[in-house]
Amino acid sequence: MEEEAFTDINGKPITLDCHSHSSFCREFTVSSPKVSIGKVMVYTCSVWLLAYAVFFFTQNTAVLSSAILITLVGMMLHIHFVKVDHESLLVIGSLGIQVSSSYASGREVTTFIEMSKIKDIVINEAIYMHQIIYYLCVLLKEPFEPNEVSSVVPLFQSSKPRLGCLVKVYKSCQEILSTCQ
Amino acid sequence: MGQRRRAGAVKTLSSERDSADVARICNRKHNICMVSDFFYPNMGGVESHIYQLSQCLIEKGHKVVIATHAYGRRRGVRYLTNGLKVYYLPLQVMYSQSTATTCVHSLPLLRCVFVREQITVVHAHSSFSSMAHDALFHAKTMGLNTVFTDHSLFGFADLSSVLTNKLLTITLCDTNHIVCVSYTSKENTVLRAVLNPEIVSVIPNAVDPTDFTPDPSQRPADRITIVVISRLVYRKGIDLLGGIIPELCLKHPDLHFLIGGEGPKRLVLEEVREKYQLHDRVRLLGALEHKDVRGVLVQGHIFLNTSLTEAFCMAIVEGASCGLQVVSTRVGGIPEVLPDDLITLCEPTVRSLCDGLEQVIAKQRSDSFPSPASIHNRVRNLYTWKNVAERTEKVYDKVVGEEVLPLAKRLRRLRSHCGPVAGSIFAFVAMLDFLFLLLLQWLLPDRFMDVAVDATGPHGLWRQKTSRKKFD
Repeated sequence: MEEEAFTDINGKPITLDCHSHSSFCREFTVSSPKVSIGKVMVYTCSVWLLAYAVFFFTQNTAVLSSAILITLVGMMLHIHFVKVDHESLLVIGSLGIQVSSSYASGREVTTFIEMSKIKDIVINEAIYMHQIIYYLCVLLKEPFEPNEVSSVVPLFQSSKPRLGCLVKVYKSCQEILSTCQ
Repeated sequence: MGQRRRAGAVKTLSSERDSADVARICNRKHNICMVSDFFYPNMGGVESHIYQLSQCLIEKGHKVVIATHAYGRRRGVRYLTNGLKVYYLPLQVMYSQSTATTCVHSLPLLRCVFVREQITVVHAHSSFSSMAHDALFHAKTMGLNTVFTDHSLFGFADLSSVLTNKLLTITLCDTNHIVCVSYTSKENTVLRAVLNPEIVSVIPNAVDPTDFTPDPSQRPADRITIVVISRLVYRKGIDLLGGIIPELCLKHPDLHFLIGGEGPKRLVLEEVREKYQLHDRVRLLGALEHKDVRGVLVQGHIFLNTSLTEAFCMAIVEGASCGLQVVSTRVGGIPEVLPDDLITLCEPTVRSLCDGLEQVIAKQRSDSFPSPASIHNRVRNLYTWKNVAERTEKVYDKVVGEEVLPLAKRLRRLRSHCGPVAGSIFAFVAMLDFLFLLLLQWLLPDRFMDVAVDATGPHGLWRQKTSRKKFD
């Protein structure tokens, strides 16, 4: 078990955690920093200040209570659906790949891809917003034509690590994939 | 800003070094980014020029990437033959495959391409392409050396050319070097953009001679065929062609026309064919793919070009390479293209073209022309892509030693060269562009951008892989 510090595509620090369970089973976990208290304060304050400004002109208390509601619901939705704390990739040779992401609220989403469906794991380039980035993805086989690629599953979608981190994960994934084929 | 100052300092240092270093600089490999709105899957002269030039530069060991806009579902990053990397950037297309220009909105993506590919020279193509103009603008803001290739001739009188010329003046006034495809085109560009002629080079286009070989057995023996291959538009003089066809067909009963291409002027030709009942003798083939062109050319004896304006006519070189006798109008850069005995030049009138064709037909009947194979042998070494790449390389070598104007000088240059109104407006836009670049550099510093893995160039992985395959 080793932990390494990398950055994501926006320059924020992330850590990569490699856990080798056995020679054909490895787990990679990318952890993003926790929600910072400063950021929460800034968003809350800006919503409330806006609400006070509106209240000052309209003299309607409903504005204030809705502002409180908005911040609370917004924060809950954010930690439940947007903010991902850990993303992990579990590669088990001859069995498959498990991709899971755990949200800040504790919710966890897990998908499993069988080895028979996987063609390869590659690093690809894509245009994302106003940037061109590298990302790691799993290529899936067409069911009846094993040489065709039917679809692509991007990995580490919310943490978006930079190339250095991707290369490390890619290399050890390839070690396992090459031994089981 | 700091980065640019440093780059400028390095450049002045290197220019102070004496000629002992020149050889080393000449052997230096460049990272070149070709930018144009026009690239495959769109078809045409500019597209194939960019592709062929890039391939030859890759062969010479330079790193080349191409940036163009997304064509339908073709967006993102693609690799072509020999690891030529193409960025299809999602920019909005406005009019006839040309993107909208605001001078600012394309900066984030182009900056990303330039930074991650560590570009040293930005080479933009075609004055119709607004993405090329944008890229030059941003490259100068980022302190990169710039080269521009102009592929077409323009007028001076109508409104659209006045506007394009103004835009060209603005883009080219601080571009390091300009390449034109013929001397006529150079003269035209120098006049249009008010340039110093010393920074304009002439590098003609080329054709791949192996694609255009003669095959006289394909020619029907009982007739004389005139081949015309061009887009059927006003600029290509299709109205002249409409006048020539009936006149010559009446005189020579064994004369046939083979016309390849598509466009709005097809109506003119169809009308002529209808009126004089020439359906069996004038064949309209419609749009041709590039690979089919040779198959059409070898069926003919004479190649006819009726263009009214042309910077450098690739079609007549292709025709001559297939061993055809070429008859063309004497316009633009055409007289420079082929040696006098391979081409018959006429004035752009029906009368003159008919006379010229009559002469050539008479000679063809008396069999006094050299054989197609001998014509091909003369033409095949006239225009090769290798030669074009060598000459372009020299331009790059020269350009990387030059200084990119810092902002203050650039603003002064814009205002002094482009008139008080347009100059001031674009000086303001250049300022905006610079501020936007600072904002982007603050939001996402260059050091957080991953440097792309080289496919081509001195450390290109593509070549190593293929050579390793060869050894295995």
